[in-house]
Amino acid sequence: MSTPTIHIRNLCKTYIVTEREAGVVAALQSLVRRHTEQVIAVDGLTFDVAPGEIIGFLGPNGAGKTTTLKMLSGLLHPTAGEVTVLGHVPWRREKTFLRQITLVMGQRNQLVWDIPAIDSYELNRAIYRIPAQDYRRTLDELTDLLELGPLLRKPVRNLSLGERMKCEIAAALLHRPQVLFLDEPTIGLDVTMQRRIRTFIAEYNRRYGATVLLTSHYMADVEALCRRVIVIHHGKLLFDGELAGLVQSFSAHKTITVQLGDCETDLWSYGDVVTCEDGYVTLRVPKSETARVTERLLADLPIIDLTVEDPPIEEVIEQVFAQEAV
Amino acid sequence: MTYLRLLYVFFRIGVLGELAYRVNFFVQLFQSLLGLGTALAGLAVIFTHTDRLGGWRPDELIVLVGVYMLVGGAINLVIQPSMERLIESVREGTLDFTLTKPEDAQLLVSVQAVQIWQLTDVVLGFGVLIVALIRLGAAVGVWQAAAFGVALLAGGAIVYSFWLILATCSFWFVRVENILVIFQSMYEAGRWPVSLYPGWLRFALTFVVPVAFATTVPAQALTGRLTGQTLLGAVALAAALLVGSRLFWRFGIRYYSGASA
Amino acid sequence: MRDLLEVYVQQFKTTLATQVQYRAALVIWLIGHILDPVIYLVVWDTVARSSGGRVGTFSTGDFGAYFILLMLVNHATFTWIMYEYDYRIRHGDLSFALLRPIHPIHADIADNVSFKLITLMFMLPIAAGLAIVFRATLPLIPWALAAFVPALLLAFIVRFLVEWTLAMVAFWTTRVSAINQMYYVAALFLSGQVAPLSLMPFPIQVVATLLPFRWIIGFPVELLLGRLTPGEVLMGFAAQGVWLAIGLALLKIVWRASVRQYSAVGS
Repeated sequence: MSTPTIHIRNLCKTYIVTEREAGVVAALQSLVRRHTEQVIAVDGLTFDVAPGEIIGFLGPNGAGKTTTLKMLSGLLHPTAGEVTVLGHVPWRREKTFLRQITLVMGQRNQLVWDIPAIDSYELNRAIYRIPAQDYRRTLDELTDLLELGPLLRKPVRNLSLGERMKCEIAAALLHRPQVLFLDEPTIGLDVTMQRRIRTFIAEYNRRYGATVLLTSHYMADVEALCRRVIVIHHGKLLFDGELAGLVQSFSAHKTITVQLGDCETDLWSYGDVVTCEDGYVTLRVPKSETARVTERLLADLPIIDLTVEDPPIEEVIEQVFAQEAV
Repeated sequence: MTYLRLLYVFFRIGVLGELAYRVNFFVQLFQSLLGLGTALAGLAVIFTHTDRLGGWRPDELIVLVGVYMLVGGAINLVIQPSMERLIESVREGTLDFTLTKPEDAQLLVSVQAVQIWQLTDVVLGFGVLIVALIRLGAAVGVWQAAAFGVALLAGGAIVYSFWLILATCSFWFVRVENILVIFQSMYEAGRWPVSLYPGWLRFALTFVVPVAFATTVPAQALTGRLTGQTLLGAVALAAALLVGSRLFWRFGIRYYSGASA
Repeated sequence: MRDLLEVYVQQFKTTLATQVQYRAALVIWLIGHILDPVIYLVVWDTVARSSGGRVGTFSTGDFGAYFILLMLVNHATFTWIMYEYDYRIRHGDLSFALLRPIHPIHADIADNVSFKLITLMFMLPIAAGLAIVFRATLPLIPWALAAFVPALLLAFIVRFLVEWTLAMVAFWTTRVSAINQMYYVAALFLSGQVAPLSLMPFPIQVVATLLPFRWIIGFPVELLLGRLTPGEVLMGFAAQGVWLAIGLALLKIVWRASVRQYSAVGS
């Protein structure tokens, strides 16, 4: 690819954590003797991101996703490795760099609590030195895309969680950053709101060509937005590629759904029966057996309908993490 | 300058947030007047038994009360709420937002919260000052006024740096919320001339918790007691502390971004 | 009665455990408790020295003894209950208090006393040090010492009742800090913290005698320093008794009204 927006080689981050047991005695002991441990949060990450890509970071809690995002946005110093974002070294926190990025954290707010969102926007306008005309135009577009109209003049504490998140996202985009770091932006939101925010991110990316790095627990987020997925576990990069490929590489099974009309027949000789409902039986078979089992099913039984599918992605991911948790 | 521009923006937000609660203004005014009344009543009791306190005449002590309120109000206007917010944001992780903004983080955290109604203390203190000076019939010449201004600025810079150093400690010690109370408890002593106190206390109020530079030194400027030495010393200390606190802040940020999760 | 005692013991244990963790911060309050009397001590010392060594019946050594003793008595009787209730109401932490079958004041008293058991360990040596530094002259009168103990105890109970009742104000308004300030200003002047009451203008002395402030802080100090005649001491005990009765009555009335207010308004 031409100059990548984000360039990472062998990124590492190690923390020194002090451990302490409960109780007064241990507390006093810890004043004299400190028991420390090394925690490797990120272990040799290497990947590049092209301009305009939307990338999803997947990984269980504590995998290193948020740590990676913080190193990319300049909040943390890496222990080792090299990082450039838009040609800058993030942790130098140069102003020209900071003006082109933005960080959205699903669990924390940057909006001032007691005043309407629009006034917090004015604050950001001053900090990012956005020219009046650009500010107006961007605000109008964001208001339109996110349906912010009636929300802007209400004090933030009076908004619902979803409304607040929309206003947060708008606040983060007022300065038209080129790189967006989104850390669990849809967490805690209802399904409709999640979908709306997903649509927005996709539209924003399409219109402005912004590069987006997204972490999320919700597969729906990743499925809807990210063509490319990076799986991190224990700080290590497990997978970097297309989502479809993820299932291909990691799943050892396929799911066959057979419509039989009833649930009487015992299908255990064909594969693992997962469920049987209203005459639909779901079987799990090893990938290599799929063709053979399908043949046998079609030959032996009065099948009304048969589908072969990949198992749900959540299952695949779970298995991936379970495997690596040695 | 960026500093003034940002201060204006944050001020505006502080005002907007508070304008909805006009009652707060009257409550604050009441409390300010009560505080002033307390100080004056205390002086009244003392001066039924004497006519000078440590060489200070009653009206000179009222000047001191005025400075005490003026400076106290200024501290509680911006410095105290911003530093408290800083400590909270370290604890809650919202400091990260500040660190991704393209402006100097120390600047942003120093003006981020404004308690607008503390202006009553500032205005009242200033008024008390003027009245006391008139009663003294003091001829406050240009030099004295200038010295007063310089002393105020130096005192303000010293107090700000002190608060910043305390707040920066929260990067290392998480349960430090109440540490700022140290200053507020000792500030009470600033209502009386620091020269009254025994040596060890005077030292503590000058060099450990810089109350003397906030109140007594500017009041000395107005009452003709300020030596050039002291003024120069205050300015030098202010400069040293501004630099020192900034270095400590930078050190704290480096630690914060090296070790936080 | 034995059950109540058991409650106190348990409460002591729990609060002692939490003190180390949470109330460590309250130790910073101690600075104010030590500094305030020291400030006035220094001021009056200065006045005395410029007036030939005495003001009224107080020499510089007498001032030293008075203010340092005042510091200890004030610390022994003080409460933070008004802030506590304001905090509890704003954070909805009251359900526990309302659900218990005993009056919440017991838990609050136990909490208060266990805090002081720890802080007095610091306050006493500091007071001793200050007494040396300021050359306090402490008269040792056996009967005064004996009478001091019940006087202090009564002072603590009356003060707790008064301030606890006042803390109920938090149920009706959020302007607790303004009311607190009024109370503290009144206490400042009328309990002998700004100056020994005998040095205050006569009208103030009259008001001080009629209100509880003198009896909850100033009185035990004056007693121990031997500045009161036995007759005056007895009158003091009587005054404490009166305010104890008033306090208990008010407590009952106000608490009931507060609970009604709370359940009417919701949390």
